[in-house]
Amino acid sequence: MHPKKHPVGRTWKLRLLGLACLSALALLVSDALAAQPPVGLGTDGAFAVLAGQTVTNTGPSTINGNLGVSPGAAVTGFPPGTVNGTIHEADAVASQAQLDLTTAYNDAAGRTPFATVPADLTGLTLTPGVYKNASALALTGSLTLNAQGNPSAVFIFQAGSTLITGSGSSVNLINGAQPCNVFWQVGSSATLGTTTSFVGDILALSSVTLNNGVTLDGRALARNGSVTLINDTITAAQCATPVTTTGTGSGSGTGSGTTTGTGGGKGNGTALLHATPSSLTRPGSHACVSKAFKVTVSGKLIRRVVFSFAGHVVARRTDAPFTTSVDPGTGSHTLKAHVTFSGATPAKTLHIPVRSCNAADRSVKPIAGSGGFTG
Amino acid sequence: MSCLFLGVAASAGGAQAAAVPQIASQQELVTLQHVAGVSASPGGPVQETVAADRPITRERTVLPVLSAVIDNSVDTQGQLWLQVRLPGRVLAQKTPPATGWITASSMQTSTTPWHLVVDLGARRVLVYDAGVRVRSYAAVVGKSSTPTPTGEYFVEENVQMAPGAPGAPFALATSDRSSVLHEFEGGPGEIAIHGIENLGGTLGTAESHGCIRLATSAITWIAARVGPGVPITIV
Repeated sequence: MHPKKHPVGRTWKLRLLGLACLSALALLVSDALAAQPPVGLGTDGAFAVLAGQTVTNTGPSTINGNLGVSPGAAVTGFPPGTVNGTIHEADAVASQAQLDLTTAYNDAAGRTPFATVPADLTGLTLTPGVYKNASALALTGSLTLNAQGNPSAVFIFQAGSTLITGSGSSVNLINGAQPCNVFWQVGSSATLGTTTSFVGDILALSSVTLNNGVTLDGRALARNGSVTLINDTITAAQCATPVTTTGTGSGSGTGSGTTTGTGGGKGNGTALLHATPSSLTRPGSHACVSKAFKVTVSGKLIRRVVFSFAGHVVARRTDAPFTTSVDPGTGSHTLKAHVTFSGATPAKTLHIPVRSCNAADRSVKPIAGSGGFTG
Repeated sequence: MSCLFLGVAASAGGAQAAAVPQIASQQELVTLQHVAGVSASPGGPVQETVAADRPITRERTVLPVLSAVIDNSVDTQGQLWLQVRLPGRVLAQKTPPATGWITASSMQTSTTPWHLVVDLGARRVLVYDAGVRVRSYAAVVGKSSTPTPTGEYFVEENVQMAPGAPGAPFALATSDRSSVLHEFEGGPGEIAIHGIENLGGTLGTAESHGCIRLATSAITWIAARVGPGVPITIV
């Protein structure tokens, strides 16, 4: 048969949220959209990992940024883990970092106004703001954060207790969102499931656990407890300086470029992915589409865009406008735009989750076989 | 969340034309990508396994999903666990549990609007599409000595039978198994909804060994639409 197929997590998002929850979110989300300044990290900005008691690593984890422990002093697993920074074990730097973490945690926890979100964030596309669940937050699939073209846009999540992600979950940034502007205030502990691709600074009251193969573009900061790692990669995200362009279109800009690679140098390119109808990226709506939709990539120094949908290339564009029309087909798929730039800017892939309203092909094809039934 | 997927309230009995339970508008399914370990509870020890492929058609195993849970207390990875309905008994092996829990990793989910109801009392097969009854066919059902077991089941396989095979032209192999015949014609007493060709019988009667026989036109219509995983309620 050919039922409507979609990855695990998407359907459960719908189930766990419920239509009522979505409606409530739509009503509340506007209140959360008041522009927020980023959470002040103080000296924590230099840290990728900070714990109150212990940092325990297994396997060849890579930490891009400082690692600290205070008031505890136990750091184990380096090597085989690698710290591309400085390890601070119960020293004055780590102590100050913990003080700054308390300040940052309280700052994030106190941000208002906030929109109440469902416990499971899977499948949502959110615009900048403060999002809260008084109980807990979870992610079993993809969460998309849409900066709407503002690279300074800030996203703050407040979890009453735990933050838990399932295996293979991901946080995706679109339209200029930056990892340095995403913050997760966690009322107890955070656990990221195996191979989760996560973004943002985790500010946990207790502990942070990263299971095998997690990529965290942000920070794992634990106030009272421990940080546990297994073959993970953590990169303390630094914000890129906004790009300025000349009248000729040969962009230039400067960025921190310290660890994330999001910063620039001469020739920084930018790319934004837009969709028509805009409901495809409207926060909370997660509307389905029933007919062909249009996607466009705009930006600076774009050399080529390859659009793919449901894993198949649908268009290649080497000249502006970088646009194409896509038939949504059936089921749920991801529209991707792989953008390469002139100059030194690394290629990037932008994407939009798309859910079709169309019924699946409902015919089925019986397969030849013998019986042996009771008759 | 159960309202979407547990809309069928099982109804015991079947001697009389049964009150047809309310049918959900859709059913969540999961297609196995590999052998699945089955636990009695989320995070519990594996007690059974379900093969990735079905024995007759070699098609992927598709199971109805009853509920889901993310239980970090039993699984430190916070995995998504699915409670699924399980295939029926395999020849010469003990009867497996009707339901169990599997992890959702690397699985593919889907939905189906179809649902079959076998009304043993009325001796009819009712076809539901998105919760609405769209067809009602007279059937031959199990006789008293080899009754068709009642309960909640699903289509394991959609089989195109050879023209001369008993039950041609099509058979929906179900997860239901005969409570009397633990082996029949080399199979595990598997209850199927199939055709009447090469078997005979009078539609509207109870004279089969447990299978449900339909007119050729009826089973042809159903087999063109109802695939693996589609829930079956036998009342």
